[in-house]
Amino acid sequence: MTSLFGDWAALMPLLVLAGAGMAMLLVDAFVKENAQLGLFSAVILAGTAMVSIGLWDEQVTAATPALLGGYLASDRLALFADVAMCLGAALASLLAGGYLREHKLDRGEFYVLLVWSTLGAMALVRATDLLSLFVSLEALSLGVYCLVAFRRHSPKSAEGAMKYFLLGSFASAILLFGMALLYGATVHTDFAGMAEALRTGETGDGPTDLRLGILGMALVLVGLAFKVSAVPFHMWTPDAYEGAVTPATTFMAVVVKAATIVVLVRVFFGVFGTEMLAAETSGWPSAVFGLAAITLVVGNVAALVQKNVKRMLAYSSIAHAGFLLVGIAAAAQLDEGRLTTETVSSVLFYVLAYTVSNVLAFGSLIVVGSRGKEAVSYEDLAGVGRRHPWVGVPFTLGILSLMGFPPTAGFFAKYWILEAAVNAGGAMTYLAILAVLMSAVGSYYYLKVLVYLFMKQPEQGAPVAVPMRSGYVVAALVLSSYFVLRMGLAPTAYLELAQGASYQLAGLPDPSAQPAEPAPADEAPTEVAAAPE
Amino acid sequence: MVTGLGTYLTLSAVLFGIGAAGFLARRNLLLQLMSIEIMLNSVNLALVAINRAHPDSHAGQVFAFFVIAVAAAEASVGLAILISVFRLKKSVESDRADLLKG
Repeated sequence: MTSLFGDWAALMPLLVLAGAGMAMLLVDAFVKENAQLGLFSAVILAGTAMVSIGLWDEQVTAATPALLGGYLASDRLALFADVAMCLGAALASLLAGGYLREHKLDRGEFYVLLVWSTLGAMALVRATDLLSLFVSLEALSLGVYCLVAFRRHSPKSAEGAMKYFLLGSFASAILLFGMALLYGATVHTDFAGMAEALRTGETGDGPTDLRLGILGMALVLVGLAFKVSAVPFHMWTPDAYEGAVTPATTFMAVVVKAATIVVLVRVFFGVFGTEMLAAETSGWPSAVFGLAAITLVVGNVAALVQKNVKRMLAYSSIAHAGFLLVGIAAAAQLDEGRLTTETVSSVLFYVLAYTVSNVLAFGSLIVVGSRGKEAVSYEDLAGVGRRHPWVGVPFTLGILSLMGFPPTAGFFAKYWILEAAVNAGGAMTYLAILAVLMSAVGSYYYLKVLVYLFMKQPEQGAPVAVPMRSGYVVAALVLSSYFVLRMGLAPTAYLELAQGASYQLAGLPDPSAQPAEPAPADEAPTEVAAAPE
Repeated sequence: MVTGLGTYLTLSAVLFGIGAAGFLARRNLLLQLMSIEIMLNSVNLALVAINRAHPDSHAGQVFAFFVIAVAAAEASVGLAILISVFRLKKSVESDRADLLKG
């Protein structure tokens, strides 16, 4: 990458997607069949993921920090999140290519909004300054509000969008107030400066005001908890998920969640990772612990009583947020005054596994319904798996993966989070036990889907679901099935990527890297000298 | 008379509280949108006041400009959604938003 683009290589994923997003606005005016735009956006999103993978071994040159001005990072955490989010967004736009045409909602702006929201998410996971964090979070959110409101003639869609918008901007305001207080406490807006001021108690312009800092940290946690839909800040989730068109729901479930979890990791481990703020009993890890416990319980129990499959999947995504928070709380263990950030890899692997499993589950739900007969309730699924096995098989795979059943991606994802929690010991062991119990509760509503798919028949006179036919949707299902199985059967490669990201975040040498590799810092000065102005 | 940073921060917190209380108590979507604007502007006040107390950089003031721009974008998207809700329901009362439950 660096040989091709020089110092600009670090920005390449963002630039590629931004350029393609603008091109899409133009292409939209000329294509006759809008579904082709779905294919186009899927291709460019996949291409962006490739660019990010290409940057894996050389994320920065010596000139990168000056180029990015301290506002954006370019590290493996961001690149890993890029891959997960671009993959999820690419699959969601393939799903949209089939879904929107089938339901006569075929308008090109859907794909453009999706691409620009993904760009916001990619900037968000790179943010290393409160300013860039806020702006990119809003760039992500504003696009998603529009995606939720996309079905303009549906009162449900408008209502879901309104609720999402109101609570989302309320959360943004809380987050922003927290940021202002942190700025007041540390007199810095860049993460490195804030971390330094919080650690040393010296801002460079007077002492750090820790009371303001702790209040700000609490508000930032609340704001981000809204966005990851952790209980008790989850009220918008089921409504927005149900009201949105299903591809938009998929996008929200995978991309928005992945981005906010990664930014949570970056902010809390990077800025608030000091000995005092991350103390076991009084610091933020105990708050995350509490959020994780209540999110697991409420998410799983509320999912039990749902009659609408999309709502059930919404509550299941809340439950998965609980699992991710368990991983974050488990990783936030102080070891000689330093956070053991390397166990964040379990969270990152979970994000990737959750992305592909969720796309598979939502994609199968899409393929079950056809025009005017969208599958929403369990009854709509009755007997579909028997009558149309090619629909039943991917649905089963997705549901089993969300449940955490081997040999799917979800199994190892859950396994490593639980392993990290048990290794952390102490109260985390109880949280691990709670997580296992709640997974058992969760298997009830997941298996209910399978029971309806294969063991029930539609009642007399009830409308019978007819699966839709779309090459795009089938392609998305095949791809996500491949990743679900691949990550379940051979997870090591993906775990190593996640470990690479978390080791770099922790500032440790990558265990998988060759020891003979020369340090990039040695070469960098000559490179800069050689570079033309 | 010198007005200290604490005074500004207190005013900002009070404004933020008014906005949050308005958001939670009001049932009219337009008034809820206005409450959010009050919250965002209270943050602007805090940012500018903190920057005045620590004038080494202009981070706070720049931040306030960005907040203003983002708030405008947010308001436009919010009003668009609000209009779409009004067209379908002929009402901007959030109590009437009861199609999605459970």
